[in-house]
Amino acid sequence: MGNKQTIFTDEQLDAYQDCTFFTRKEILRLHGRYYEMAPNVVPMDYTKDPDVKLPMQLIINMPELKENPFKERIVSSFSEDGEGSLSFNDFVDMFSVLSEMAPRELKAIYAFKIYDFNTDNFICKADLEKTLNKLTREELTAEEITLVCEKVIEEADMDGDGKLGFADFENMISKAPDFLSTFHIRI
Amino acid sequence: MPEADPVCREEEDLVGSLASMSSNERIKAIQKMPKTMRKKREIRNKVLKERTKKSRHRGAQWTQGAPGVSFRRFGNALSEFFQQLRPWHKSLKIIGAEFGTSVLSYFVFLKWLLNFNIFSFLINFGFITIPQFLAAEPNNLSFTGLELLTGAGYFQQTVLYYGFYTNATISKVENGPSYNMQLAYIFTVGIYFVICFLILLFSMARFFSSNFRLTKAFSVNASKLLCTWDFNITNEEAVKLQQKNLLTQIKEDLTEVNKEVVNFSVMERFVHIATHLLAWVVSLATAVAACAGVYFLSINNLKLFMKGYSNDLQRQSAMLVLPVIVSLLNTLVPFLFSWLGHLEKFQTPGQHIYVTIVRNIILKISIVGILCYYWLNIVATSESQCWETLVGQDIYRLVLVDFIFCLLGSFFGEFLRRIIGTTVCVSLGLPEFDIGRNVLDLIYAQTLTWIGILFSPLLPGIQMIAFLIVFFVKKVSLMRNCQPPREVWRTAQMTTSFIFLLFCPSFLGVLSVTGVTVWRLKPSEECGPFRGLPSMYAAVDEWIQTLERYTVSKWVVWIYHNLIASELFFFIISTVVLIVTYLYWQIIQARKTMIKLLHNQIINAGQDKKFLLQKLQREQRAKRRSSSALGGRGQQRSSSSYHPSMQPAQEVPGYPERAFDRNQNTSHNEHPFSVEISSSSDFSPGKQLR
Repeated sequence: MGNKQTIFTDEQLDAYQDCTFFTRKEILRLHGRYYEMAPNVVPMDYTKDPDVKLPMQLIINMPELKENPFKERIVSSFSEDGEGSLSFNDFVDMFSVLSEMAPRELKAIYAFKIYDFNTDNFICKADLEKTLNKLTREELTAEEITLVCEKVIEEADMDGDGKLGFADFENMISKAPDFLSTFHIRI
Repeated sequence: MPEADPVCREEEDLVGSLASMSSNERIKAIQKMPKTMRKKREIRNKVLKERTKKSRHRGAQWTQGAPGVSFRRFGNALSEFFQQLRPWHKSLKIIGAEFGTSVLSYFVFLKWLLNFNIFSFLINFGFITIPQFLAAEPNNLSFTGLELLTGAGYFQQTVLYYGFYTNATISKVENGPSYNMQLAYIFTVGIYFVICFLILLFSMARFFSSNFRLTKAFSVNASKLLCTWDFNITNEEAVKLQQKNLLTQIKEDLTEVNKEVVNFSVMERFVHIATHLLAWVVSLATAVAACAGVYFLSINNLKLFMKGYSNDLQRQSAMLVLPVIVSLLNTLVPFLFSWLGHLEKFQTPGQHIYVTIVRNIILKISIVGILCYYWLNIVATSESQCWETLVGQDIYRLVLVDFIFCLLGSFFGEFLRRIIGTTVCVSLGLPEFDIGRNVLDLIYAQTLTWIGILFSPLLPGIQMIAFLIVFFVKKVSLMRNCQPPREVWRTAQMTTSFIFLLFCPSFLGVLSVTGVTVWRLKPSEECGPFRGLPSMYAAVDEWIQTLERYTVSKWVVWIYHNLIASELFFFIISTVVLIVTYLYWQIIQARKTMIKLLHNQIINAGQDKKFLLQKLQREQRAKRRSSSALGGRGQQRSSSSYHPSMQPAQEVPGYPERAFDRNQNTSHNEHPFSVEISSSSDFSPGKQLR
């Protein structure tokens, strides 16, 4: 109801509604945000599903992501081509997973990807060290970092392979009820 | 292409299984898939094609999906309509961006409570007040400005209070449809409370199910590193502060002496326990003293009221003494409690917060309790003309003065404290937003409103306006005066506890007060919709008796006599509920044991793997030695023959590998163990379940 918009066809909006946790208005608003990042590149008319991607540099300058220590990892986890450029599909997907209606399991999968810096499907010690550095602005000494990472692996690694697999990570998340509310970005 | 075949087959299976689900389940399943958006849309289109094919097969049959899908669309459109309240969204985003999820939870809670008041106001206004306007008596009293504060005077003869409502059956047209005010009043209030009960119950259950953990093992360090970073915070200063706090916490954890190991001497432990005991005694004594003070003050007030006042000014001021004293107690005694908390040395700051909140709850419950006792036992049986209106006026004044004190508290507690903290005494610094205290104040205000609904039907409207103003004032004060919290505040746990508090002492207490009023107390003879009846509930009894005359409504009468008014039915239901609860309890215990067993199984599997790999290493080394002796011919064969046995060991249990099809450049380390065989790495042993 309301004004007829010509950015998306009705069928496209239905598809987006079914595949994400957003309503029509929110999807149109997201398109507005996507458009204003690069008005010369992003078309207003998306009815033909144009193949437009915005590079990572533009996306990580969004106010919602600018100060986040993990902004590059977040954007590359949702990027389809793996290089950090997001099409509108990926953009909507990213904010859908980070919205408050996404279930815990889905958020856990993407949180695992974000913290997995070397993308080997495991959070190994190097990944944990990088995470710790990002969280504390590299103000811990090297031996403090090693100590903390060892403690983390000791606590969370259940099957004893020295790194955190997805099952270990999910088990840890299930015991932290705050995860759902902290792993959330409002757009 | 042979590699694409298993992929295609899996996709076909997926599409097939999705097509056979109902549309709601299908949409939920698609939303949950961790694939790229493009893939999801493709799958969705394929599924829809599959469904149209199937429905065409079955002929022009009504497709099962259509009503489900349109219902969801309707739900979406409705939520879009309510989202017109964009001002909420923006304020919440700004607050969350600078202060994080913990402070945000207060404002979300306030917004949620506001909905209860809006709903109550709308139905009370619609079903009770508007009909009353049609049968209103003229108001002869004069209006002076002071009424806004005291609620008496001019307001006494308005729709604000119970006393003004008529007990007649209103009908505009002769022999036309009539509107029974008594039934309307009691049913509106009753249905509102039933709906609130259901909403609170379901919210509480939802929060408990998502936040309650069965197993106690809580990995502090791991979750601190990986689960606590607040992605909501987007303000540069706040992010730096959060990083600094995390750094401080980690450093403290690393350098602290293991607290559990330190053994206190017997003397020290005795002193410890004595301090705790003394603090509790002092808190309880303060609560009791506060209650006694409130009680005697109110009785005094009532006596003076019945005697009559010498002049108008004395009357007005006397009415305001009680609410002001109650609000002062509510504001100042918590300071005493937190000072007591500082004196006692708690082991963790979490315990300190918890104990202070419990003491505040005890104080507030006792004050509300004593007031209810006073209202129901003393005022109701006094010889005043219209005791319900008196109670309504009392509650109105309490709500209003509490609101004023809330604003004053914000002014003094945050604004002045900031001025002091930045100019006079710089070591204090900026104040922090005290989430626990503010939420308890909200719960207290809401409890008063709920109690007052029966006596003053438009009170929720006043509380609604008060909450809106409080939201705005608190937000402005927060942004200007406060700094982000330094201590860890377990948001999910605390929110669950607050909703539980809202349900258990607060709402259930209100239900019992309202129940006693409706069932046991005699309404006043001269005012209100229930004048002349032995109790308010007698109106329903009379209505049921009139229904008995018509055969059409005999089933209503049957339900009333055998289900609602019969004790046997409630006894049977309670027994059934207790049995079901006991069964679920046993299931929970069994699941806990299962979790422990599975955990141990994983650890054992890890140790088995380690043992097998070490054995493998030994065998390989032995073979290499023997084959190098033979001239290196057997080496190739031996190393390759071991690979098939490695396959099952490195499969990540239960995790869909397809989820990583996003990053095409993932270096799928297919055989991590084979690599580490040659480097003979050391595996850390699995952790035993404590």
